[in-house]
Amino acid sequence: MEPDPLLESLRNAVAAMPDDVPLRLHLATLLLRSGQRDEAVRHIGAILQRDPGNGEALAMLTAPAGVSGPAPSAPPEAEASGERARGSAPDVPSPSDGVTPGGEVTPPNGTPAGGNPASGNPTESYDWTQAEDELRDVLPSMFVGEAAGSVSAGLDEARAYDAEHTGLTLADVAGLTEVKKRLEAAFLAPMRNPELRKLYGKSLRGGLLLYGPPGCGKTFVARAVAGELGARFITVSFADLIDMFVGRSERNIHELFEVARRNAPCVVFLDEVDAIGQKRSQLRNTPMRSAVNQLLLELDDVASDNTGVFLLAATNHPWDVDSALRRPGRFDRTLLVLPPDGPAREGVFRFHLRDRPVAGIDLAKLSKITDGYSGADIAHICETAAEGALLDSVSTGEARLIGQADLEAAVAEVRPSLGTWFETARNVALFANEGGAYDDLVAYLRKRRLI
Amino acid sequence: MTELKQELARAATMLDLGRYDEASTLLARLVSADPGSGRAWCLFARAHLGADRYPEAVEAANRAAAIEPTEEWPHRLASNALMHLGNHAEALRAAAESRRLAPAYWQTHVCVAQAALAAGQPALAATAAAEARKLAPNEPDVHFLSGKVALARGDLAAARGHQERALALDPSHSGAMNELGRIRLRRHDTVGAIRHFISAARTAPGEHIYSRNIDVVIVRSVSRMIYVFVLIAMIMLWIPAVTHVDRLPLALGFAGVALTIVASFAVMVARLPREARHLVRRTLLTRRVATALAVAVGGVAIALAAVVFVPSAELPQTLPVAIIITIAARITATARLRSPSGKAGPGNRTSPNQPLPPTRRR
Repeated sequence: MEPDPLLESLRNAVAAMPDDVPLRLHLATLLLRSGQRDEAVRHIGAILQRDPGNGEALAMLTAPAGVSGPAPSAPPEAEASGERARGSAPDVPSPSDGVTPGGEVTPPNGTPAGGNPASGNPTESYDWTQAEDELRDVLPSMFVGEAAGSVSAGLDEARAYDAEHTGLTLADVAGLTEVKKRLEAAFLAPMRNPELRKLYGKSLRGGLLLYGPPGCGKTFVARAVAGELGARFITVSFADLIDMFVGRSERNIHELFEVARRNAPCVVFLDEVDAIGQKRSQLRNTPMRSAVNQLLLELDDVASDNTGVFLLAATNHPWDVDSALRRPGRFDRTLLVLPPDGPAREGVFRFHLRDRPVAGIDLAKLSKITDGYSGADIAHICETAAEGALLDSVSTGEARLIGQADLEAAVAEVRPSLGTWFETARNVALFANEGGAYDDLVAYLRKRRLI
Repeated sequence: MTELKQELARAATMLDLGRYDEASTLLARLVSADPGSGRAWCLFARAHLGADRYPEAVEAANRAAAIEPTEEWPHRLASNALMHLGNHAEALRAAAESRRLAPAYWQTHVCVAQAALAAGQPALAATAAAEARKLAPNEPDVHFLSGKVALARGDLAAARGHQERALALDPSHSGAMNELGRIRLRRHDTVGAIRHFISAARTAPGEHIYSRNIDVVIVRSVSRMIYVFVLIAMIMLWIPAVTHVDRLPLALGFAGVALTIVASFAVMVARLPREARHLVRRTLLTRRVATALAVAVGGVAIALAAVVFVPSAELPQTLPVAIIITIAARITATARLRSPSGKAGPGNRTSPNQPLPPTRRR
């Protein structure tokens, strides 16, 4: 196909003035008209990077493939274009998590609540689920740790919280057999067997607190638990918690639980809960104290009305969590997520090496020599090995594969990062194991001869 | 402007939660966007302080002081950082400046007291601490610092009184518990000291200094036991030279002394809480301590055997050699105890001669 001179000129102009949003928008419109959707999406992404609320750009994204301009009509080849977009997946930020581009609000089943206000077209002839699927792949999630393709629960809510299907199960968690076993016994079995639960009078009150050293997969396990329960998953990260403290904390916390109730069954996962649930005696900041009080109130509400909201939390420092938060009916069950065992380490290596040019990697040996390393440490090892091989390739002028020697050299270079955590854990095991709350930790430390 | 305020509130919250690195990242962005915000620089200095980046903390505090010359906080922050850098004269000067700017603010007097204490001026520290107590009689940290000042001046009774007052005001004040342990240690009450250190470690397990203090006290006790053992052995070595005692009673006497020392140590250990007994057992089994004990006992045994088994005529020549062996054994054993364990991470021990570091409160 002959290159369009107009498009070429516009491309050059955009290259010269990358921040000129109207110019880029015009180019994207013409590209869509000419069927060059991949490039158009890249430009739309660039526009949204500079102006995340740009309505025209958002409308173009909602517009099915092959449709030009901000007021699109139904496309004849939506599916084919969608496949192309899926394959290319350019680096375009999501305009707003949980809100479909164009401001469309979708209920949890993924179907729209109404017509697309940007297009003004009826929706019967259009496959919204597929459109969402397309955008899910095209637009990577804005925040690390959140999978693309989440389903929003409401416009206001979606700004802050996002209920998603994780698509993970415990089978996706490599190794950690002990953790899975205890998870099954303490949490999942009673959830899955309502009849038996009734028979034994077991209530569903209370959440599960995952604790353990940093970088060892607590968040991943939590997502897998949500997947096992077939529930939506809302992550409340440290940044969200900080926002709660700074803003109207009580209202924010209440809103979070309201979103969860509307999306039931839903797992609310409070990551780094020690931040919000820090011992109130340590909190001098009044808004933080009131945030903790509000959280306790919400936990009690969830425990009493049993609306299908399940609570999971993770912390590296359970000893800093307010004891009020750990009373029966709140986070009264704890689960120690330890550094990855042999099979888990192999799995982590496999995961981090899967997209790199590697050859002759002895995973069993690597797993053996990285005993005591966290998952994050292993990721760092893979990164260091890749860096070494890259530098070597640059100096020799010849690209080569990452080999076992690179990884072993990286293992020698990267020290395990868990020393400080275990030093604190040792203190807890020795001096603060009141009522046997940390018996599993004590057992582990004894096994490793750390106490 | 409102946005900056909100971002600063975020940073302050992060700092309150001890998330210094995240706060630093945010504040670096804020001070580069708005370099004229004194509060942002102050928070940045606080973040550096929390992350033990003292030169950067001084730099940030100085920037804040230049922007807001009538504000006392930058000077307090600078004083704190300079203290950590060992620049005590400058730290004291900055603290005095903060007090000049806000004499009615008790924190400035606490800052002066801390800086004076670090600069080796306990009298000045005591005056500042007294002023702080007048301004904030119900503030546990004021009493905690007053206790530290009193301890530095050797007034153990007053030090104890202040720390007990701090604990009355805040029962979870782990720093005060630790200080009470240090006071007990000054009174040679090892068991009492360990009990207080354990209380501190139980209250704040994340403060590794408390458990290290326990280790240090245990190793010190072992060191003292070796010292007494070697001293008595050296006295016993002279017995054959000055009296005509048979070998068997001498060997038995030596064994008796050894057993008495071990028994006294065992009695001390038996009085300890269960957790500390466990720690003592672990400490005695470490290679460092076990080697020290073996060297001391072995050296003394060799020296004693040399004296006991040589003919009486050769005793004048053998005795000095035996004494030298005993002294060498003691020096080697002590050096072994003082050497760092070398193993990083869990179970890492500090050397017994290392002074107990100043306490910090979470």
